[in-house]
Amino acid sequence: MYIGTEQLTHTYMPGTPFATKALQDITFSLQQGCFALIIGPSGSGKSTLIQHLNGLLKPTAGRVFFAGQSIGSDKQALLGLRKKIGLVFQMPEEQFFAETVYDEIAFAPRNQGLTENEVEERVNNAFEKTGLQSASLLKRHPFQLSAGQKRLVAIAAVLSLNPEVLILDEPTVALDLDSRDHLFNLLAQLNQEEGLTIIISTHHLDHVAALADTALVLKQGQLMLAGSLDEVFSRRKALYEMGLSLPAVTEIMHSLAERGLPVSTCVYTMQKAKQEILAAKKRG
Amino acid sequence: MAGQSAAIIESKDAYFSYSGDGEPSPALSGINFSVKRGEYVALIGPNGSGKTTLLKLFNALLIPSNGEVLVKGISTTEEDKLPEVRRSCGMIFQNPDNQLVATTVEEDLAFGLENLALPVSVIRKRVKATAALLGLEMLLKQPPHLLSGGEKQRVAIAGVLAMEPDCILMDEPTAMLDPAGRHSVLNTVHALNRNRGIAVIHVTHFPEEAALAGRVLALNEGRVVADGAAKKVLTDLDLLHKIGLQGTTAGELAALLRLGGCPLPSHILNNRELVDNICTLAQNN
Ligand SMILES: Nc1ncnc2c1ncn2[C@@H]1O[C@H](COP(=O)(O)OP(=O)(O)OP(=O)(O)O)[C@@H](O)[C@H]1O
Ligand SMILES: Nc1ncnc2c1ncn2[C@@H]1O[C@H](COP(=O)(O)OP(=O)(O)O)[C@@H](O)[C@H]1O
Ligand SMILES: [Mg+2]
Ligand SMILES: [Mg+2]
Repeated sequence: MYIGTEQLTHTYMPGTPFATKALQDITFSLQQGCFALIIGPSGSGKSTLIQHLNGLLKPTAGRVFFAGQSIGSDKQALLGLRKKIGLVFQMPEEQFFAETVYDEIAFAPRNQGLTENEVEERVNNAFEKTGLQSASLLKRHPFQLSAGQKRLVAIAAVLSLNPEVLILDEPTVALDLDSRDHLFNLLAQLNQEEGLTIIISTHHLDHVAALADTALVLKQGQLMLAGSLDEVFSRRKALYEMGLSLPAVTEIMHSLAERGLPVSTCVYTMQKAKQEILAAKKRG
Repeated sequence: MAGQSAAIIESKDAYFSYSGDGEPSPALSGINFSVKRGEYVALIGPNGSGKTTLLKLFNALLIPSNGEVLVKGISTTEEDKLPEVRRSCGMIFQNPDNQLVATTVEEDLAFGLENLALPVSVIRKRVKATAALLGLEMLLKQPPHLLSGGEKQRVAIAGVLAMEPDCILMDEPTAMLDPAGRHSVLNTVHALNRNRGIAVIHVTHFPEEAALAGRVLALNEGRVVADGAAKKVLTDLDLLHKIGLQGTTAGELAALLRLGGCPLPSHILNNRELVDNICTLAQNN
């Protein structure tokens, strides 16, 4: 009961001919320290839900809670909340406004009233954590970056806040696979060692499935499935019918099992797949 | 010049620098390669390696600082021929939301054609034919912002296609799409390449997508580090790992299994090949 929603409904442009019900009667709660995935086809309401978790949208009905309190419209409470919950938007460009990459990452710590020395330490720390290499990037305008570099800077700008909950809306878009793995390893470390709660929406389940413990599945604004990752991923047919897919390595295990090889299908890493296949070969 | 093997795009020792201060090296250094009519080339490389910059050189959005880029034999520095260069090499971007401009799909498809000052009757005919080809007939009267991501990308592709291009340049066209949208876009582009002989240069971070191309070109730090058949480049895991890339899941898993003593062939690229080979091995046990 750390962060979640109760009968949350959201309608965009209510009372107009364009009214869109983006979320309908969504109820769930996540535990502190969990690593949760939000999955669903495009338009299913993932980004809308994520913005509610950060108090950026107001519920049409129902409520959102965090640490035992409703996220209401009290401005002071909201400001406090945003210091604890860091959100990386789906489009990194949408959050850039500073003149340099450095100032972009320095914005949150400066707002917390840290000294310029402390700010610098936070910036360098956050920049390094994302795996960005060349320090000359810090002097550039955020728009003068490649697509993947923009994404990583957006993530650094939220890490520098030292949040308690980290929410990332489709964070792997535009990342090369090594940067993706680097990011996921960083998130796993923040989750396991520093106890951060991590919530990610994504279409790309490879690798992240090995780190997550919980999954929520949305379709057309409704919560279709929720539970442990194994529970949700075992509903392969239901996921297919929603136009979703499993991690590539899990797919391979399903195909092998269908061809009669005695392997488990709850497999989300290459190493586990290798063990399963080698063991099955010996037995078979 | 229009023969089957004629080059649509040629890059001759092309360099490009974003004249920034303190930048250690140019974004592109000495790029040599050409794309023939009807080829499907996947362009891969780590973040910041120069893929987008290279596409922009081919589309004449950027001009090489040194060397030369030719589109159908026309140098991209010939300003009076830019409309022809852009017509024959259309570009599709990552974000489907940023490239649709009009209030209906139909108007969007007509937009580029109107700029070519074609007669209205020709525009109508081409819009209809392109929509039919991409299965967008039912969506013609819809406002683009109400479409799914995959549909928006197909409309963007249709907009380029209506211009009767020789080559489509695509910069991570499926990155923002859900699995269903990804499939529909990939199927569409591969069918256009196969059936209409339109060349495609497709930037992607997904090895599974690159594996569908005939040819794969890998960039690292602004240089071409591999250029060859998908089967060859994408199964060279040592090279891919060295520049911070990965092979397909099936290819990587096959390599791990080989290390574990499974005599699997080294050319495995997709799930079906891997599953077939493992099952054959298991039967022979
Ligand atoms: N507008 C710009 N001004 C200055 N430097 C830039 C600009 N755009 C890109 N760069 C730099 O040029 C290099 C190549 O960038 P490019 O966008 O071509 O890479 P990319 O291969 O497309 O990367 P990604 O996979 O992240 O999209 C990078 O070092 C990048 O930081
Ligand atoms: N700012 C907005 N104004 C109006 N409708 C919106 C807005 N943002 C999203 N929607 C609509 O709400 C629904 C859910 O969208 P979204 O939360 O972005 O889904 P997802 O992130 O899963 O793709 C869609 O029908 C979308 O068109
Ligand atoms: Mg979204
Ligand atoms: Mg790019």
